[in-house]
Amino acid sequence: MNRRRRFIIGAIIILAALSYLIYGGVKEAMVYFITPTELKAQEAIPGDKFYRVGGMVLAGSLKKNLQSRTFQFQLTDGVQTIPVYYQGVPPDLFREGAGAVIEGRVRQDGVFNATTIMAKHSEEYSPKKEGHTELRSFLPGKEQGAR
Amino acid sequence: MTATLGYTCLILALALALWGILAPILYSNSTTHQQRIFTAIRLGIVGQFVFVTLAASTLIYALVTTDFSIQYVAFNTTRNTPVYYRVTGLWGALEGSLLLWEWILIIFSALVAWIYKDQHRDLVPWVLMIFSIVSAFFLAVIAFASNPFEIMSPIPADGRGLNPLLEDANMLTHPPLLYTGFVGLTVPFAFAMAALITGKLDERWIVTTRKWTLIAWFFLTLGNLVGAWWSYHVLGWGGYWAWDPVENAAFMPWLPATAFLHSIQVQERRSMLKVWNLSLIFLAFSLTIFGTFLTRSGILSSIHAFASGPVGSLFLAFLAFVLLSSFGLLAYRSGQLKGQPELDAVVSRESAFLLNNVVLVSALFTIFLGTIFPLLSEAIVGVQVSVGAPYFNSVTAPLFLFLVFLMGVGPMIAWRKASWDNLRRNFLWPCIVSLIVGMGLFIWQIRSFMPLLGFTLIAFVIFTILFDTWAAVRARHRIAGEGLFRALRTLVSRNQRRYAGLVVHLGVVLVVMGIVGSMSYSVEREATMQRGETLEVDPYTVRFDAISGSEQPTHFRVEGNFRVFNNGTDLGTMSPALKFYPSQKSPIGRAVHHMTLGSDLYLILSGFSELTQNQATLKVLVRPLVSWIWVGGLVMTLGTIIAIWPMRRKSEQ
Repeated sequence: MNRRRRFIIGAIIILAALSYLIYGGVKEAMVYFITPTELKAQEAIPGDKFYRVGGMVLAGSLKKNLQSRTFQFQLTDGVQTIPVYYQGVPPDLFREGAGAVIEGRVRQDGVFNATTIMAKHSEEYSPKKEGHTELRSFLPGKEQGAR
Repeated sequence: MTATLGYTCLILALALALWGILAPILYSNSTTHQQRIFTAIRLGIVGQFVFVTLAASTLIYALVTTDFSIQYVAFNTTRNTPVYYRVTGLWGALEGSLLLWEWILIIFSALVAWIYKDQHRDLVPWVLMIFSIVSAFFLAVIAFASNPFEIMSPIPADGRGLNPLLEDANMLTHPPLLYTGFVGLTVPFAFAMAALITGKLDERWIVTTRKWTLIAWFFLTLGNLVGAWWSYHVLGWGGYWAWDPVENAAFMPWLPATAFLHSIQVQERRSMLKVWNLSLIFLAFSLTIFGTFLTRSGILSSIHAFASGPVGSLFLAFLAFVLLSSFGLLAYRSGQLKGQPELDAVVSRESAFLLNNVVLVSALFTIFLGTIFPLLSEAIVGVQVSVGAPYFNSVTAPLFLFLVFLMGVGPMIAWRKASWDNLRRNFLWPCIVSLIVGMGLFIWQIRSFMPLLGFTLIAFVIFTILFDTWAAVRARHRIAGEGLFRALRTLVSRNQRRYAGLVVHLGVVLVVMGIVGSMSYSVEREATMQRGETLEVDPYTVRFDAISGSEQPTHFRVEGNFRVFNNGTDLGTMSPALKFYPSQKSPIGRAVHHMTLGSDLYLILSGFSELTQNQATLKVLVRPLVSWIWVGGLVMTLGTIIAIWPMRRKSEQ
């Protein structure tokens, strides 16, 4: 009996420690996948939760400052629109009218402070035959570049 | 023509696999023809091996000769693809990689049939039956749900080619290594199932499977480390592990396999943990199937995911079958598996092993939970909630650090009950020295708790190993009068398993050292620079010199040239690049790094101005101690080779 009780106590201690670890980890790292409409409906306390929001960069809304590398734009899902602020280097596919997934928290003033922007790769993309011609015309060959 | 040949081979192999499933039943019922049936079973395996090898060779031949009448070839290679990348096309996509899996599986089963032609006569037919069941499943999936020999019509002028990210030398090694690891776990699974089916549950199968498990474990370890190296070296984000679902799927079987390699020793020595050991093997094997389900079903988003299809659900069904039959059989035989349950003392080798197992299985559980968290939350509360790297890091870090501690204690502590004398002799000096190291690090500059604890524990393990080995070498030197080096050699060959294990442990703690260092003390800076401007990231200075473009066979390459100085010492020019593939919408970065044992400098070109060529955006990462991960990997490889190496003494078996 004694052995059995010791075994149970040991198991409880281990399970409790593990649950505590998992609880702490989950609380720290939860990311909700939602749309701008769902985010608006949340009425969450700003800064409280970490979200991943998927939508489209509203055409005509992008304001960028290349010197400070800050970007402001509106993210929309066609129904609702949320203002977004981002500092950093966005992915190459990031542009107005294109899909984007942003991660971050809602600031006190209601602006979404994105810490990460991921551009959505659309499936139906078909490459131009010539490849990136626009690049070739802008970039010199190696010899010139080294000058 | 080629397609018909390949497909026919698959069907013939499938027929032989069905024979392999039925034959053992005939074998056990027959009293007069056993020898002949046994030969027929082995021939059936050889036949499967021949046909699957033919099928795989046919596909490789089609890939190399760019036979675009086969859809798989058209999708995974082009006329411009170099020959070795055409061959790697075999595992570049779902259909081919399943065929590779099946091929490795049948190689393993042929090896088993060949090696055990006289030994284990009662078990081997059943072992080969389990192999045939798994093989039949894979062949059926390949032949009927994801046929690599599907015909393409009309025949395209050129193929679509591999994902450019896969065009890397690591593509030659990483997937086959990992698959060999996965498939290798089928051997212990098959032996365990055979032992349960026949009811011959003595320790023989354990002894036989230990080496096989070790080999599978070795490939799994290597596959994961090469994957980490690839990620670090090629993917251009400066990390080596992202806790991506596919990475987790590759890592999860490693945990019960590692646990098994430890707890098996308790069963060998003390006849304990019999049910537990069988469960670990079943778990490890099931996780390889689960991993394939996870990656092929497309239910979780991941950079590795292949196209979704019916294959995922087939794997789920097979997984259910495996779990039900293996654990069902285990429950049925549990009466025969009563071991000695009694632990003599809490401070003993047994309990160190037990804790090792608890920690490894806990780590497995937490990683499993985190991986399927989006599915769970979707099912329970209807919102997809994911937990990313922070979850995995914060939950597994304490578990793995505890494991490091056990690595120092376990190999040195006495079986049954450790006496004070044993503890004092083995641990007093390592404790003192590692505490001094810890205090030194604290005074130097390492102040946060986790890394400080981590480095101290790593020092503790290294010192226990060195101290123990030194004491043994010195004793031999004194008693047998051997030179120091010779004494070490005698020791290793006399206690092959023990010293191999210690070398592997040494490798593991070096890997952990790299992980702790790079996780805790990485510095990351990003800046948009004008030509001639410099960026300082202690101790490095990076100067932007030029940007240039060049036409490559498969892509257009834009390269930034940066002159790099380490505390004023010129390290030369480093050239991170962006590669523009015609088939890809966004460019693919080619990061570069400067490796040293102290820290790595890692440069990523993240943007440039197309108009003026005067501006570049650069990401600079300084990652301390990363190189030790690769060094540790080499040490682990060395240790495993020592463990597997056939030594003169026969008493091992």
